[in-house]
Amino acid sequence: MASSRKITLRSSDGESFEVEEAVAVESQTIKHMIEDDCADNAIPLPNVTSKILAKVIEYCKKHVDASKAEDRVNDEDLKAWDAAFIKVDQVDQATLFDLILAANYLNIKSLLDLTCQTVADMIKGNLFPVRNEWLNFTFSIANRELVLVCLTEWVAHRRLFCS
Amino acid sequence: MSRRLRRRVSRKGKEKVVAHGYTEFEEEVSTSERNGHVDWTCLPDDTVIQLFSCLNYRDRASLASACKTWRCLSASPCLWNSLDLRAHRCDSTMASLLASRCMNLQKLRFRGAESADAIIFLQARSLREITGDYCRKITDATLSVIAARHELLECLQLGPDFCERITSDAVKQIAFCCPKLTKLRLSGIRDVQGDAINALGKHCPHLTDVGFLDCLKVDEVALGNVASLRFLSVAGTSNVKWGVVSHVWHKLPNLVGLDVSRADVGPAAVSRLLISSQSLKVLCALNCPVLEGDANFAVPKIKGKSLLAHFTDIFEGITSLFADTTSKGKTVFLDWRNSKKTHKSMDEMMTWFEWILSHSLLRSAENNPQGLDDFWLKQGAPLLLILMQSSQEDVQERAATGLATFVVIDDEHASIDRGRAEAVMRDGGIRLLLDLAKSWREGLQSEAAKAIANLSVNVNVAKAVAEEGGIDILASLARSMNRLVAEEAAGGLWNLSVGEEHKGAIAEAGGVKALVDLIFKWSSGGDGVLERAAGALANLAADDKCSMEVALAGGVHALVMLARNCKFEGVQEQAARALANLAAHGDSNGNNAAVGQEVGALEALVQLTRSPHEGVRQEAAGALWNLSFDDRNREAIASAGGVEALVALAQTCSNASPGLQERAAGALWGLSVSEANSVAIGREGGVAPLIALARSDAEDVHETAAGALWNLAFNPGNALRIVEEGGVPALVHLCSSSVSKMARFMAALALAYMFDGRMDEYALVGTSSESTSKIVSLDGSRRMALKHIEAFILMFSDRQAFTAAASSSAPAALAEVTEGARIQEAGHLRCSGAEIGRFISMLKNPSVLKACAAFALLQFTIPGGRHALHHAKLMQNAGAARVLRATAAAATAPLEAKIFARIVLRNLEHHQAESSKGI
Repeated sequence: MASSRKITLRSSDGESFEVEEAVAVESQTIKHMIEDDCADNAIPLPNVTSKILAKVIEYCKKHVDASKAEDRVNDEDLKAWDAAFIKVDQVDQATLFDLILAANYLNIKSLLDLTCQTVADMIKGNLFPVRNEWLNFTFSIANRELVLVCLTEWVAHRRLFCS
Repeated sequence: MSRRLRRRVSRKGKEKVVAHGYTEFEEEVSTSERNGHVDWTCLPDDTVIQLFSCLNYRDRASLASACKTWRCLSASPCLWNSLDLRAHRCDSTMASLLASRCMNLQKLRFRGAESADAIIFLQARSLREITGDYCRKITDATLSVIAARHELLECLQLGPDFCERITSDAVKQIAFCCPKLTKLRLSGIRDVQGDAINALGKHCPHLTDVGFLDCLKVDEVALGNVASLRFLSVAGTSNVKWGVVSHVWHKLPNLVGLDVSRADVGPAAVSRLLISSQSLKVLCALNCPVLEGDANFAVPKIKGKSLLAHFTDIFEGITSLFADTTSKGKTVFLDWRNSKKTHKSMDEMMTWFEWILSHSLLRSAENNPQGLDDFWLKQGAPLLLILMQSSQEDVQERAATGLATFVVIDDEHASIDRGRAEAVMRDGGIRLLLDLAKSWREGLQSEAAKAIANLSVNVNVAKAVAEEGGIDILASLARSMNRLVAEEAAGGLWNLSVGEEHKGAIAEAGGVKALVDLIFKWSSGGDGVLERAAGALANLAADDKCSMEVALAGGVHALVMLARNCKFEGVQEQAARALANLAAHGDSNGNNAAVGQEVGALEALVQLTRSPHEGVRQEAAGALWNLSFDDRNREAIASAGGVEALVALAQTCSNASPGLQERAAGALWGLSVSEANSVAIGREGGVAPLIALARSDAEDVHETAAGALWNLAFNPGNALRIVEEGGVPALVHLCSSSVSKMARFMAALALAYMFDGRMDEYALVGTSSESTSKIVSLDGSRRMALKHIEAFILMFSDRQAFTAAASSSAPAALAEVTEGARIQEAGHLRCSGAEIGRFISMLKNPSVLKACAAFALLQFTIPGGRHALHHAKLMQNAGAARVLRATAAAATAPLEAKIFARIVLRNLEHHQAESSKGI
């Protein structure tokens, strides 16, 4: 690494984390702070708890390390690592939620993508209790689609693909 | 942002109790609640929008119901710039409902002419891109109105089905109305005339990409005048004057890519175009018979230009176009996708190339011409896999459909090319397909699921699919609200449920419930989805444990509903097969009885045995066969008219498949277990067809027919009928020469019933004038029958073992005789008290029937047989031991009878000891 400068990050509950600059600047927010020379002392992150910050740093570290070795096999590994990192049975909903907020606040696009996708997958799998009550609302093509689907002519064309 | 969050949390905090484990955070700024319940509605707006963008419309709608803010966010224009209506029949009412969302709609995909008519009601004036398929019926009028209402339109694609009703008039209209048009691709127009093309050239200055695919006629000269053209495809278009083309098109100043696939272009035109066009880089000529047929054709080698055909290396051809590339072979596509995309012209070309390649490959896969094996293995399969990773959704879809299609050898018998399937697997195709299946795009989900379904016909692929988590994915797709997705997913589960390997995993993934729910969800339409769901359930029901799950999930009701109400033969067939398999577990679970008790089930199945479709008749008969195992079902089938229907089926199946013949005879066998049914079968004329089936060479058929005749022969009236219909020679033949021991055994027992004397009394009572001649002919038949019964018994009597057993009372000697005589499958036969009684009285018969009866009782009482204990009890009640002892001791009895009787006695003692142990 060209620069081995260390940056200190301070979580909302006062814990300090010392990380390499390369890891810290995975966050666009921190990157801008450093560029604006606001990083002489520890960078305070009032919206991120130490528990979440530790996870975020773990994530950034892995991604910085992975970007050093650039080949495709590594890409697959990283995907697998991401999957394990965010695995539903290890990360509870509260943590996932905080991770999203942190990724959003720190502006780490790949982590935001990963966490949002995870939530989307939970919604798709009906693992996600949005709200129990179904608010009174008028917009929903979902309600209508139930009646709209209907047999049409193209079924006949699909025979070729049938198994 | 943060302040707002903090405030919300504090408000929430008052309402909910904070859990102990997190008290140290209490004073901290905590953005979520710590008792595991998270208020997701306080996510930042931009994140919510990102979340929405990962979901399909349905999930978006349900998410939008969470709160008012989210409802507003769900209407954000950025979430509504593209709309895929293909899974829905979109009419004007639905389109009007969507109109409020479509102000900023940019891209639209639709399916079918009816939806095309509705497009204008979306009032999406800023539409840039319209793509439609299944447009055979779309008319000039519809297309003209669409063009007139969307003057910002840049891209219009209709196909791949032929738009037969569209003429040059509509094309002209498009040219007049859409000055911004850059891309126009139409399939299957009869005649694209010069004035239409000239209008395009005149009014659409940005038109760079034109495709007239599979048209009958295109004005070549006019096309040569559209100077803005960069990409042109006339793939599959016939009647092109290639002589004219080679003198005109090379003058197109900007032409970079030309696609002449599936056309009758020859070497001369190809060479000339390649050599003389200044701008041309790619000439794509896949599947061009004239070109491929010319063995002497030498591909002109010109730097920076590539001819891509089945006989060239396509990867290399593409690689050579990248001047500065270091990529080799197959990585060229991936490298291009990962690159920074600085070369706009190259990007455009690759994007175009992906599109036309996916198109041509799919066409080749559909037509599956001979002689492409090598191409598919070396180039086609890898190309399809690469196209599946394209950034163009429709290319991805076509590639997945291509994978589903190119492996199919025989649609009817569901056989696929093993080499091709395993090539897909080797190159990581399963992972790619499963990734597509997991995306939120329903078009991709359904095509990927279809490919997985077809590929899974191969056991190795099926295994890979299961190992990569595919069963969970398919099970969740089967729950999709989108019928097309659910249908393909059910097809996947159907193919994966073949064999024993994956049934358990499918059940574990909730697949059984999902499949049953599909039937309820689509009960009023959707033969494809119903057939596949029922087919999968049929396979699953073959397993004892899964069959319980099917029943638990409400499957009995669902399948009976299909059998009763569904008019599609494919669905009827699979529903009947599923009911047959559900009932196939005899007394190991209660499904047999449960199916019979379902209202209308037996009536429906009886009705289906009259179907014009052979498969339906076969499966319905199979179901009735299995269901007749249960005593109550047997009577209920008869009272639902089953006897008449099945006799009629047996009478008409002489030319049918062995499968149908076997089940028709089997169902009659099952019904004839009760003597009342047996009499009814005889009366309805069932004897003659069963004798005909007993003459079949197919083992399964004559075995079941022998079983049915054995049951029928118990009744003296039927026995006489069998004689009169010429059954004796047929049974004698079976008894002496069938490859199935069971068929021989049951034929012998049928003959024994017929000639143990009861029929004679019946024949004497029943007849008058010709009685003498009848008795004479009966005598002849009896002699023949007895002779062959004796021969049959001798086949199972090892002389040496008999001599040993006669001279010693050692158990080992008797065991050896048993071993030699034992017919394994006979252990499954279950006899009533009346039948056992009949064999006991046969023991007193002076002829060879004495030995035959002892032999039969031996089979029925061998320890370990399924019903041995039941038979032993019946024999005890009938006082068999005394008769057996008499037989064993009789001086005049044949040796076989004596030894067999001794063995039966030992068997009885064994069972007695066992049951007293049990007490």
